[in-house]
Amino acid sequence: MTPRLPPLMYPPMNFLSLSRSHRLFEALGRNYEIYFPYPGYSGSSFTNSALTPIQKAELGGVRTVDPVKAFFFMGRERVSDGFDSAPPGTRTRPLCIIGAKACDLQGFRILDQVFMDPEYGDPTYRRLRETSLVISSDCTTALETCFCTALGLQPHPQGLFDLNLSPVDGGYLVEAGSAKGQAVLDAHPDLFEEAPSGLTAARDAARSEVKAMVESNVAATGTPNGKDLAGRVVHHYDSPLWAEEASTCVECGACNTICPTCHCFLLYDQKNDRGFSRFRVWDSCLLNDFARVAGGANPRERLWMRLRNRFEKKFEFFPATGGMIACTGCGRCTSACPGKIDIKRVLRKLAGD
Amino acid sequence: MTEKTPYSSVECEVLDVKVETPAIRTFKLRPVRELSFLPGQFMQVSVPGVGEAPFTPSSFCKIKETIEFTIVRVGRVTEAIHTLKPGDRVGVRGPYGKGYPLDAFRGRDVFVVGGGVGLAPLRTLMYSLFDMRKDLGKLVYRAGCRTPSDFLYWEEINSWASKPELDMRLTVDRSDGTRECAVGLVTTIMDFDGVDVSKAVGVACGPPVMMKFVTKSFLSLGFRDENIYLSMEKNMSCGFGKCGHCRLGNFYCCKDGPVFTYAAIKEFPGIWD
Repeated sequence: MTPRLPPLMYPPMNFLSLSRSHRLFEALGRNYEIYFPYPGYSGSSFTNSALTPIQKAELGGVRTVDPVKAFFFMGRERVSDGFDSAPPGTRTRPLCIIGAKACDLQGFRILDQVFMDPEYGDPTYRRLRETSLVISSDCTTALETCFCTALGLQPHPQGLFDLNLSPVDGGYLVEAGSAKGQAVLDAHPDLFEEAPSGLTAARDAARSEVKAMVESNVAATGTPNGKDLAGRVVHHYDSPLWAEEASTCVECGACNTICPTCHCFLLYDQKNDRGFSRFRVWDSCLLNDFARVAGGANPRERLWMRLRNRFEKKFEFFPATGGMIACTGCGRCTSACPGKIDIKRVLRKLAGD
Repeated sequence: MTEKTPYSSVECEVLDVKVETPAIRTFKLRPVRELSFLPGQFMQVSVPGVGEAPFTPSSFCKIKETIEFTIVRVGRVTEAIHTLKPGDRVGVRGPYGKGYPLDAFRGRDVFVVGGGVGLAPLRTLMYSLFDMRKDLGKLVYRAGCRTPSDFLYWEEINSWASKPELDMRLTVDRSDGTRECAVGLVTTIMDFDGVDVSKAVGVACGPPVMMKFVTKSFLSLGFRDENIYLSMEKNMSCGFGKCGHCRLGNFYCCKDGPVFTYAAIKEFPGIWD
């Protein structure tokens, strides 16, 4: 028997006008250190409210140039001091990230699995994930490099956010995705109002339109669907495709550092006025020394082997060990690559014989 | 409970340094708090402010107050480790990964083959096997090194010859006139008497190329894939499956190994690279 729901007394107060959104962000700025996308020459990048007025935030568009992971799994981070078993203290104010896209949120799924396991959880990553407020937003357009739909994602957030803002005429439609997000709505009842009629339909139409743009990218480039890629790297393990694709690689590692799911790091120790500290810094599996052992033996001594490793890790290892592909279709690796290695092209070759 | 970082090391005092060969030394450490380990597990040893590198202890795991590591000088960190003197401080964290499943060895013949500096982790294993000797069937030990002067623990291993029921043979790739030893690759001394290969456990630890050929020998002798235990060498860094360096197929060497059965990894391409 279906329980009777109480009659809905009021329509959902889920519209946030543009001007009131600035008031909301300013209010959040009292408790959080706020970062938001700001348009630049090659796309939007995250900036701080101390550097750029919040009114200049660009919440539509596509994913930023820089991945959201950089706020949680930082490029360089002190992870221990001397022989002290307590994690070093880091920032005091929690973070609020505004304008994360669905592809970056999907990145959290992979990074959470890597860094938040119960036995050896990374205390810094966990603390940042627990204390931060993530306000995501729908993509309102797509780049040629976007292919999230081939990996079962949508270009609008479907979870893993505290609040999601869908740009609509005059402001945003707001959805809470967590208790933390709901608490923000509850704390600012004066800022939200009933959505003018037709806006929900307009949002859905905009979402469909962007989804169609990504799907047409995927179709035009013959990008295979993620679920058809199982076993393909192993199938093509000795294929000439790797050497072909690696021929323009300059071994810069940008594909790794800019990837929302790449999590590899190296630990290095440094003497300092505390005695010594240990740092965790981003590493890149494309670099020659990544898998080299002391004494010189290198299981992946050729560049094409290292390129293959990147695909094997994302499309074989993670599906086998974590139940998901470690690629979100954001296309950042393609955009960042000076050698013009296009992940969609590599995947198309993998899907072929 | 206060939160702990998995990246910090436990302070240890260097008690003793023993020169094994020109490039290999054994360091006896006393940790400020107990560090228990099982044979085959590894730890990260660090020189404060210089860096850390992975090693498997070489001492008996039931000795709790001290822990020994036998270390070859091959890189930046081991270069610094080799300058350590008694009284110096180092860091150790771990143990990590899975060691040898000794309980599964009970009642079975055990055939151990080691090469080069692989004799260090095998010393830990052999101490435990001697300790549980009455629960094992036949115990076979084969060891090889490049030259007699490269042979780790030469006196100690030779003293094992007097142990009852240890079938032991040693070999070197080539003689250098220093010590008396048979010459030939370790795979040439893998013949044995009376081992029940259908159930016997084979253990190999040494350089990848040696393990590859020892595995082939085990297989041709009739050992089963799931009974061959290999200690895989990769560049383990974090020790708990996060940093990504030591991937071996769909495993991380640090977390899922470093001891794997051949059955577990044989389908992955490039395991001996």
